[in-house]
Amino acid sequence: MSEIALAADFAIIIVVATIVGLIARQTGQPTIIAYILTGLILGPVMFDIVTEEGLVESMAELGLGFLLFLLGMKMRFDDIREILRPIINIAVWQTILQTALALAVAWALGFDPTEVVIIALATVFGATPIIVKILTDKDEITALPGKIDVGVLIVQDIYLVIILALLGADELGSASEIATTLGVIAVMMTFIGVFSIASSRYLLPKLFRRIADNKDVFLVVSIAWAFLFIAVSEQFDLSLEVGAFLAGISLAQLPYSKELEDRITPITDFFILVFFASIGLRLAADDLLAYWLEAIVASVVLMVGNFWIMFYLIDREDFSVETSFLGAINMVQVSEFSLVVGALAVQQGYIDTDVLGYLSLMALMTMSVSTYIINYNHTLYARSKPWFSRFESESKTDIDLKSYDDHAIAIGYDEVTQQVLPLLEEEYGDVVIIDRQTDHIEELEEEGRYDYIYGDFRHGEIRKESNLKNASFVLSSTVQLDVNKALLNEVSDDATVFVEAERIDDARELYDRGAAYVIMSTYLTAEKLSEYLEWYISDPASFDEAVERDIERITERARSDPTDRQRRRTGPGGDGDD
Amino acid sequence: MAMTDLITALAVVFVTAGVFLLIANQFSLSPIPFYLLAGLVTGTIVAEPQLIELAQWGIAFLVFTFGFRTDFSSVESVLRDAETAAVTQLLVVGPIAFGVAHLVFGFGLENAVYFAIAATLSSTIVGARELEQEIRSNLVHGRLASSVHFFDDLLAIGLIVVLSAEQYTSTLVTSKIGYGVIFLLVALLIYRHGFPLLVRLAGGSDELVMMGSISILIGFIAGAELAGVSIVVGAFAAGIAIRGDDVSALGVQNGIASIRDFFVAIFFVTLGALVSIPSASVLVVALTLAVLVLVANPLVLMLAFVYEGYDARTAFLSSTSLNQISELSLVVAIQALLLGSISETLFDAIILAAAATMILTSVARRYEEPVYRSLIERLVAGRQTRKIDERSAVDDDLEDHIVIVGYGRQGRRVVETCERLGREYVVMDNDPVLWDDVRSECHNYVFGDALSTYPWTKARVSEASLVVSTVDHRPVSEAVLEVETDADVILRSETAAEATALLEQGATYVSVPNVLAGDHLTELVYAIGTNKTDTETLKDDHLDYFDALERHGFASRGRWGDTE
Repeated sequence: MSEIALAADFAIIIVVATIVGLIARQTGQPTIIAYILTGLILGPVMFDIVTEEGLVESMAELGLGFLLFLLGMKMRFDDIREILRPIINIAVWQTILQTALALAVAWALGFDPTEVVIIALATVFGATPIIVKILTDKDEITALPGKIDVGVLIVQDIYLVIILALLGADELGSASEIATTLGVIAVMMTFIGVFSIASSRYLLPKLFRRIADNKDVFLVVSIAWAFLFIAVSEQFDLSLEVGAFLAGISLAQLPYSKELEDRITPITDFFILVFFASIGLRLAADDLLAYWLEAIVASVVLMVGNFWIMFYLIDREDFSVETSFLGAINMVQVSEFSLVVGALAVQQGYIDTDVLGYLSLMALMTMSVSTYIINYNHTLYARSKPWFSRFESESKTDIDLKSYDDHAIAIGYDEVTQQVLPLLEEEYGDVVIIDRQTDHIEELEEEGRYDYIYGDFRHGEIRKESNLKNASFVLSSTVQLDVNKALLNEVSDDATVFVEAERIDDARELYDRGAAYVIMSTYLTAEKLSEYLEWYISDPASFDEAVERDIERITERARSDPTDRQRRRTGPGGDGDD
Repeated sequence: MAMTDLITALAVVFVTAGVFLLIANQFSLSPIPFYLLAGLVTGTIVAEPQLIELAQWGIAFLVFTFGFRTDFSSVESVLRDAETAAVTQLLVVGPIAFGVAHLVFGFGLENAVYFAIAATLSSTIVGARELEQEIRSNLVHGRLASSVHFFDDLLAIGLIVVLSAEQYTSTLVTSKIGYGVIFLLVALLIYRHGFPLLVRLAGGSDELVMMGSISILIGFIAGAELAGVSIVVGAFAAGIAIRGDDVSALGVQNGIASIRDFFVAIFFVTLGALVSIPSASVLVVALTLAVLVLVANPLVLMLAFVYEGYDARTAFLSSTSLNQISELSLVVAIQALLLGSISETLFDAIILAAAATMILTSVARRYEEPVYRSLIERLVAGRQTRKIDERSAVDDDLEDHIVIVGYGRQGRRVVETCERLGREYVVMDNDPVLWDDVRSECHNYVFGDALSTYPWTKARVSEASLVVSTVDHRPVSEAVLEVETDADVILRSETAAEATALLEQGATYVSVPNVLAGDHLTELVYAIGTNKTDTETLKDDHLDYFDALERHGFASRGRWGDTE
């Protein structure tokens, strides 16, 4: 059969990356490292069987676009509002001090001036995916050090986008040209940025309100939105990344962004693998090892230096010593963005591949080490606490962050759950509702009484957002067995979980898996109906009385529920997927 | 960074698709035909060879997800439901279409087969979307239609295996089938041992499980290419290999679905873009195809359903949601195009007819009720009455009885109560699957559709004292209220708002399971909160209650769980 093999190079990369990834997983290493290694294995460094051309190049670029889109989408200003001021202080100074440090290190190691500048620009960033991933797994992302780190990373992302735009420009010969380019970039970015913010305020809420309930349309229109910005950026000679990032920001402020994030993440994972592998593919063995000694020296100096810079800066904002220590030690690695910047610089001819090799080696080393550091951050603090206690002082206190704990979660806002919510609020304090229908969310917004999250409970991101693991009570009004099973799998053992089921066998299984109670409305109704019928036949007075009482309740409910819901209850899981 | 041509092409594809989807969404139509239209509009701008490679990924992912969603435990009940109708349709419409293509349009044998496939198979994606509500409320016609869709999908996969042979000699075709079977066996092996191992090695990383699943997909596709069979077969087998019932599969399948949606959009848009400006002959072929799909298919299916014993309305409603070209027929077409074995004219015609029928099917559904009433009902009325008479048993002197609509779990419960209290009743249901039960368990019964009038006459509703409907479907509830009788009416509805409306229209009582469950829930939470009971007791009581229900035969039966 003479059809096109599904892009053999692309396919080989994915399969090998998966295998390396599985091996890396056994040693606790993040997948990014596995992907770069995959590139090295398949590229000129080892077997030289895959080239970074054609479809692979396009896929890598697409991966980068999606990564920035996703990054923009995570920029919810609400998330860091509480600690915005200290974060901006920390981030700005961190960028300046770390650039200075990296500059000094690179200069001391004897790189030439252009290389020194690129290296300094490239090594400032913390590795967002690694930090976010590990902290999330450890349930520390919403703790104060985690919040500070995420806040700083967000500010860094803006800085990254400016650098990318700058490097993407064609003429950077002299200082005045750089200044002009920066100016142009600033104007263009402001222009697109204003458009993005204006649309996020006026156009997008209306647009997405209409389409968010339709899964296919929701995803494809969002991707179209990203591509629209990419195309516009190209018209302005800005890079693809800038457009994707700004498109992401404009969607981030919508209530639907968590849900979207969850749908875009897999696509990003899929393509970004190719991007990281393509970095490995570009390097020859001598590139990678050209500056191996320098890379080791720089890695050690930067890791130590970065720690102290971050520690000093967080400490200066009067957070507690523990917070400063944890916030700082999470951020010691050189990020994958240094490779993004490096790869772009190579393409524009500012540096050679051996410098990219140097950056890659540094990224590989610092990321693998920092994985263990973040994993054992509390142990490290406990060990070094006696020494660090010298920084303690009375005035240092942590800000109290609002986070859900021992709270109640209701999955689905409908007639089954609505009624019990006040009782739950009384018992557990915080009530969070997860629902995937825009009209339900609007109702909740109007009422303003409970917290809510728009999204499909099937998505991990949504479950994390509601802090499911620490909930004391969970009520699920979906009858979808897979959703309820996933729920029971993830809640803590002492949580009380009420779920709904349609069939007896499902109910039994849910009990086996730890449900406290399984609601079965069909049987409940059958029971009641036959009871009423009995009265109807043998005791009409009781029947009339009961019916009257019930009708009163029903009309009352219908009144308290302002929207006549035409659509049927689909549960938060919505419809499977098709 | 200068954008590669591919990124530019993708930007065009997605921005156009986005605009068209907004239109589709505005009119609540299925997205697929709008992708095709977007492709028609963009046309040659996106005729990028790399885009066709990406489109192939779209096919692979489409079939891949179909593979892991396939519920093999339901195959049996699907065959029971759809066998006769689907096979009849295949044997009648298939040859007609083949004949038309071969004799009238003068296509060669191979092209005539493609034409016949396009004419016969119907689309699950479009159909399931249209019938979403019916399938969820488990109405008989929703169930029937989705069974036929499922049957068609499996058939399509089988056909693709056979059609990937370059020559139709029996040895070659047999060897293709042989490969297909080998793939399935390997897939089952991976399902049993390989995939669980992958999940274990991934150590809780959804990303790795997902990439591992995609690697399995790639492995199967590579295998398919080596063996010279269609990648569709490989992708389907790969889907079976990663079917996990484990909870970890949930996140992974969602992830794959996102990636699929991305590639599938590219696939359909590219497909539309491959259509050149249609000539007169293309339009004629497309029109013929559309007529076959829109008229011949539903007609044959409807007759088959009626023959099987479904009432005219159910037969009509199921068959009208089966009148569109299947997305798998599009896969067959593009595969044939890549093989060079399909004529340009036919390819264009199939795509155009697909877009047209997919849109028309949604539009037509809005008028099916009036069409049924004004046309079909008159045609079949006499015959229907005879059939209802044949199949029903109601005592002639029945009076002051209770008419029970729906013989699901609630219906059975109501019947039991009537029998216990010695009250006469008539059960009314239209699902042939329940016939044997009704016949053996009830004294008086009517097999008919509550939306028609004759079954009510047959049930002697004018003499009845009470009508209890356990069907949660607004049109049925309203039909019950319109029946001419002095009897009290008890209905069922999903929401309090709908219930209020029904009460205003004259219902004596409306039961709302959700409100009931809400009340029950509040009581329980309160009782637990004030330590009046504990969850252990609740659970034990509930499990005992299940046992009691099952002893009395009130548990749900079969795949569809008869929610009434």
